[in-house]
Amino acid sequence: MGAKAEVVQPIPFKKNENKALGISLQDAMISRVYMIVAFTALLLGGFLGLFQGLNRAGLLELPHWLNYYQILTAHGVLLVVVLTAFFTIGYFYAALSYNLGGLLPQVRKMAWIGFAMKIIGFVFAVIPILMNEASVLYTFYPPMAASPYFYIGLTLIVLGVWMCAFGAFMNVAHWRKQNKGQNLPILSYFATAVFVLLFFGSIPVAIEVLTLIPWSFGWTETVNVMLSRTLFWAFGHTLVNIWYLTAVSAWYVIVPKIIGGRRFSDTITRVVVILLVVMNIPGGFHHQIIDPGISQPVKYLHVFMSLAIAFPSLMTAYAMFSVFERTARKKGGTGLLGWYKKLPWGDVRFLAPMIAMIAFIPGGAGGIAQTTNQLNQVAHNTLWIVGHFHLTVGTSVVLTFFGISYWLVPYISGRTLTPKINKLGVIQTLIWTAGMLFMSGAMHWVGLLGAPRRTSYTTYFDNATALSWNPYLMFLAVGGTLLIIGVVMQVYAVFYLMFRAPKGKTEFPIAEAEDKEMKTPYWTERWGTWIVVMLLLIAMGYVIPLVDFIGNAPPGSPPFKTW
Amino acid sequence: MKQSVFGLILFFFLMLPPVADLLESIMIFHMHMQMPLLIVAGFLMGKFFLLRFPAFLEKWNEDGIAGILLFVVINLYWMLPRTMDEALSVQMIEIFKFVSLPFLAGVPLRDSWMKLTTAVKNAVIILFSFLFVGLGLVYTLSPVELCNNYLLKEQVTLGWGFLTMAACFIVYLIYTLVVDPSKYE
Repeated sequence: MGAKAEVVQPIPFKKNENKALGISLQDAMISRVYMIVAFTALLLGGFLGLFQGLNRAGLLELPHWLNYYQILTAHGVLLVVVLTAFFTIGYFYAALSYNLGGLLPQVRKMAWIGFAMKIIGFVFAVIPILMNEASVLYTFYPPMAASPYFYIGLTLIVLGVWMCAFGAFMNVAHWRKQNKGQNLPILSYFATAVFVLLFFGSIPVAIEVLTLIPWSFGWTETVNVMLSRTLFWAFGHTLVNIWYLTAVSAWYVIVPKIIGGRRFSDTITRVVVILLVVMNIPGGFHHQIIDPGISQPVKYLHVFMSLAIAFPSLMTAYAMFSVFERTARKKGGTGLLGWYKKLPWGDVRFLAPMIAMIAFIPGGAGGIAQTTNQLNQVAHNTLWIVGHFHLTVGTSVVLTFFGISYWLVPYISGRTLTPKINKLGVIQTLIWTAGMLFMSGAMHWVGLLGAPRRTSYTTYFDNATALSWNPYLMFLAVGGTLLIIGVVMQVYAVFYLMFRAPKGKTEFPIAEAEDKEMKTPYWTERWGTWIVVMLLLIAMGYVIPLVDFIGNAPPGSPPFKTW
Repeated sequence: MKQSVFGLILFFFLMLPPVADLLESIMIFHMHMQMPLLIVAGFLMGKFFLLRFPAFLEKWNEDGIAGILLFVVINLYWMLPRTMDEALSVQMIEIFKFVSLPFLAGVPLRDSWMKLTTAVKNAVIILFSFLFVGLGLVYTLSPVELCNNYLLKEQVTLGWGFLTMAACFIVYLIYTLVVDPSKYE
């Protein structure tokens, strides 16, 4: 199935729509506004991250009206909720519009309603954070209790996301009715998977938040802490894989086109997507390996479940490097590894996702290490974990998002990527990489030496061990400073490409499949069946611990404000 | 044939004493993991029987009904609390479990499923949905231990396992009822 087949049969009602430069203006507006919010969140969240890094290194005293935990919460919410959610939805809505011949009018409406709900929810969540009434970090673990309005805000964000998910499903169903028996275009296939995960993954957190609202209002006295944490991670871990799957979509579909190659096997790509969807949600337990209240055999079986997710990731690693080698050799690359010279290293649309993929090698390996019971006990509450997710989310995912922005933003804005901005992007990518090497590297190392996470700067009464962490924390601050330069450059590039770059046509780069490829089997399209399989696996993963947490529950905890 | 080999390997793996001990030590693992995996092992090994005895299966399981009935009966038997107890206490019954589930449930399922009409397939799923809801209620609501070998707490967990699986079946049935594949395929 090639790109031409993917560029959709015309759908009658769209025929005379105001199309400009490949995407309808109304569809483009949705993605543009989502991108504006995403990158504004990056700017704000980035600065908060810098303040945190400097404070943690003992270099910056925060003013009395702002505390470390407050900015840590805001940093988390802005970057891991707002940036990623808005980017993912903006990106995939552009893909759906491109792939499926435009968004349906009612879907567009749903995207806007979803947008409004998320923004209102965000305002609800952010005001208590600013008032220091919700410094509960982004995981908002009870018994720490935030203002109820923080939780109400989160609920609205979830509802807004559901609105967008259902919009996507409607558009996909409509296309399939118009194109009977055809496989969904590959990028829309990824979009479907991501929205399936967004919907089902956020159900547990919605349940959690609905128990926390009456608790924080004082209408109920106690809350079941273990149950809440488990419901959170059923969502939290899925969210991680939503980011990952979004990045992977660009690796499989976009990057091969940019390097002038073909996609890896269409069937294998879809199998990887299905595996990531069905096996995902029960993986949440590897975030709780040292939690009390879960028996060893259950933890052991969940480790198996978590490691199963590594399998499609390894398939992806193989697929990507196979595509690179094949393409580079076609261009005359030779030698065992000498072909790498033929790859377009000077093109930011390639360089950024490529470094993202390379970062995923240590990132994924670290993840596998952390999934192991004994190793997790060493690293769990240390800065190692913070280093890990700055390497995975902060590098693998975010650098891919940056790489996407250099063609997506011009595409939805009817503009072109200029050589200057490309150069800026290359420099930005290198600065980001260096910044993360310093910051994430230092976090990993100092974590192994015992420096705790989620803790503001302290020398523990000048304890020798705590003082020995200081040099590493200095590296952390240096990395953070480099990263903020990267943030500013990236945000400038996005806004320049959206409003100032020369007008013109930018291609939506979707790679074609290999010519002689076998037809993708239709079972990959039966999402209903895959969702039932996913639900069965979720039942397998969660029945035992949840029955235990509820049936053997301790008295429960009243709300605490620890800050 | 590769499938049959994998099935055989899985079968032997499940027979290993530490594996069997682990899976039988927790009630829900026993019924909802070991037993289905034995059926899966039989299902995979079924390929061998399909190739080796096509005439026999054609004669005795022409339209798949006989095979699926055998599958249902074997499953029904192993869902009774008493049979689980006996499998743990009586060696012969344990052996019967390792023989019946793969060869009298897994193999017939393999031979029958593709032969069945959609209506019969859905009827089987409806039957198991009702059965799982019923058993789920029995296991969650019973105030006494139904199995001597397992605690009441584990019984409740198993009950919820039945109820959630029934919920998945019902979701699937609603999906097949609401979505008409001919509109898409």
